[in-house]
Amino acid sequence: MSSVDANAAFPAPAKRSAHRGNLMRQQRFWGWVFLSPWIIGFILFTAVPIVVSFIFTFTNFSLNSSATLRFVGLDNWLKLFRDPVTLQALSVTLRFAVIAVPFNILVPLGMAALLNSKYLWGKRLWRPLYYLPYMVPAVSSIFIWQSFLNGQTGWLNRILRLIGVQSPPNWLQDEGWILVAFVLIGVWGVGNAMLTMLATMQGVPTELYEAAEVDGAGAWMKFSRITLPMISPVIFYNLVLTVIGLMQYFVVPYVITRGTGNPNNSAYFYNMHLYKTAFTFFDMGYGATLAWFVFLIAIVLTIILFVTSRSWVYYASGDTI
Amino acid sequence: MIHRKTVVLFVLAAASLLMGVVSAAAQQRTVVTWFVGLGTGTNAEQIEIQNQVVEEFNASQNEIELVINIAASNETARDTLSTLIAAGTAPDIVGPVGVAGSNSFADEWLDLSPLVESAGFDLSVFPPALVDLYRQADGSLTGIPFAVYPALTYYNADLFDEAGLNYPPSEFGAPYVMPDGTEVPWNYDTVAEIAKILTVDANGNDATSPDFDPAATEQFGMNFQWARIRLIWTNLQPSSYYDAETNTVSVPDEWRQATQWYHDRLWKDRVAPNATFASSELLQPSGFASGNLAMAIVPLWYTCCLDNSVGKFNWNLAPVPASFDGEQHVAMDADTFRLTKGSKNPEAAFKVLTYLLTTAAPKLATAYGAFPALPAAQDAWVESISTRYPLDINWSVAQDSLAYSNPGPVHHESNVPNYAQAYDREFAFLSLLEGDAGANIDINAEIDTFEADLQAIVSGGS
Repeated sequence: MSSVDANAAFPAPAKRSAHRGNLMRQQRFWGWVFLSPWIIGFILFTAVPIVVSFIFTFTNFSLNSSATLRFVGLDNWLKLFRDPVTLQALSVTLRFAVIAVPFNILVPLGMAALLNSKYLWGKRLWRPLYYLPYMVPAVSSIFIWQSFLNGQTGWLNRILRLIGVQSPPNWLQDEGWILVAFVLIGVWGVGNAMLTMLATMQGVPTELYEAAEVDGAGAWMKFSRITLPMISPVIFYNLVLTVIGLMQYFVVPYVITRGTGNPNNSAYFYNMHLYKTAFTFFDMGYGATLAWFVFLIAIVLTIILFVTSRSWVYYASGDTI
Repeated sequence: MIHRKTVVLFVLAAASLLMGVVSAAAQQRTVVTWFVGLGTGTNAEQIEIQNQVVEEFNASQNEIELVINIAASNETARDTLSTLIAAGTAPDIVGPVGVAGSNSFADEWLDLSPLVESAGFDLSVFPPALVDLYRQADGSLTGIPFAVYPALTYYNADLFDEAGLNYPPSEFGAPYVMPDGTEVPWNYDTVAEIAKILTVDANGNDATSPDFDPAATEQFGMNFQWARIRLIWTNLQPSSYYDAETNTVSVPDEWRQATQWYHDRLWKDRVAPNATFASSELLQPSGFASGNLAMAIVPLWYTCCLDNSVGKFNWNLAPVPASFDGEQHVAMDADTFRLTKGSKNPEAAFKVLTYLLTTAAPKLATAYGAFPALPAAQDAWVESISTRYPLDINWSVAQDSLAYSNPGPVHHESNVPNYAQAYDREFAFLSLLEGDAGANIDINAEIDTFEADLQAIVSGGS
């Protein structure tokens, strides 16, 4: 029987373990130190304002009034559901979504498909040309479109009259056409979605198309059964961004209608209503309520999209969200 | 031998003592803060001049330390001032600011009457009508005139020559001479008549011709350039829709008549551009400045925006037409400097205010492109603007207009509760009138709706 103490024969593990523990603590400490500027900034400039804005929804806070700040319970939330202006703004936003969302997915998809065509000559020229409008600053492009869509002297109506359309729409002054006009203006913004879809299309393995051709698949069959499923993650990504962007849609209607939402409130979007409530009328309590409501809508819509994506989004790696 | 540490400590102590002495000396001066940005004053040249004014004021006396706080931009100025007021650090002086800009903080302005009396400030250096512009219904005086912009008739002399028309009168009270030699009053009926002759389509037909094609108009007779509806109403007949005593809104008959008048110019005679034409290439950069509009009724600040007219067309100024009641009334945009109720040193702030309104007025007015309310400073302004527009313009009309200024209670930007929302609603009403949908509206029904909406706004709803 050995008289040698087993632990005495191996003293190092205890020391090494303690040393490793110290090292990990130190690394953890320094990790937090380097992360702290971002964390502090996030807490001070994002998290705290978010929490405070939620508290505002239960108060009468206004920058315009010398009235004492007081708790008003659910008054602002109840007002939201009874306010005809808010409901009108929501309705305008939803009506716009019905035409804008398909447009903002189908148009870049179509453009990407055309740019991906093997029969297209000069792809290197067309690709940047189609992307270029996306680079034009938003407000500048809106002014250009405003001139282009003018009912009297705008180039679109001049072209339409030339080809025989006697009474082209007064795009920006007609309640029935102004949302269509906004969708047209959105054409200049599809460059980014087009590019991401095109890049993904170009990544689809060619063997799949070859195999399909061998089986006698035509162009539409290949597009619908191979291309679309393979790029469905990018379509899904753009769909989520489009829906969220819709909740934030503001600059175009604000500039075009000079903040009025006219003609007859047909262009009075929800985000414009939020902006005017908070920053023109200074009703911060109600403005915060509107902001939180649209946030909740965006969350719900995003969850719906993610849940439904399981049935139509195909991930080649097998991962699902 | 002196230790190094001792030397360092001694130097630090001496420096601290010196700073204390200096700050104590500075603290003996009363600090007055001047906030700029609600109106003009935020561009680089103006900032430099304003800083000069501050330095000159501080150098001229030992009692007050004037400190200027200039907002990053006009767009952020309201937020900045709101935050300062909410935080209990309201500035003493705010300006230059117009009547509408002041309404956003209507509860914040100090009544200057006691200060005027105690300081013995002589208000008679200003035309009485301009002082009355700042007298509120309760008799308080919330401002003293600094810069004024009377509404005027800008007319394109070349278009009048082409049409064979005499120019509008050059002085108040003078009649207009029609082409057949008849003298008629210079009022809005006359404007409506000659505007038809001055409105021409692509085929050369004017609006009096049965062949006139309004869709092909290439030249318009008149407009109210960049005006809000209350300015248009006030031009046609000064009045008010708000009764502060009863907190009620009632659009007066004269304003219903005024709405009908303007609607007829837009959609019956087609002599005023509707929203589509106003935003078209035909009338860029703005209606009158395009050279395709014969008469614009707009305040004097419109001289900001006529540089491209030089060498392109000849224009001149005339009095605004007489209102519906046959009398001469001039709507006046006006800028001034206000004192806030939150000022901790109102007497000192008033001293600064009087300096800005008198000694510094010529320098500041030039920087702001503003027409000085102080008559003594007006000639210098005329001289400088004449250099910019060497067209032999009748600037005396602007000076003569001051005597006809509308008083405060019927000012076109007079305050109503929830002013920002009321202002917004007024803009929506005007957009309806001028937009395509306005062609076939029932004027009285729309005014009734407007009235009801405004009543809800002033009563605290929206």
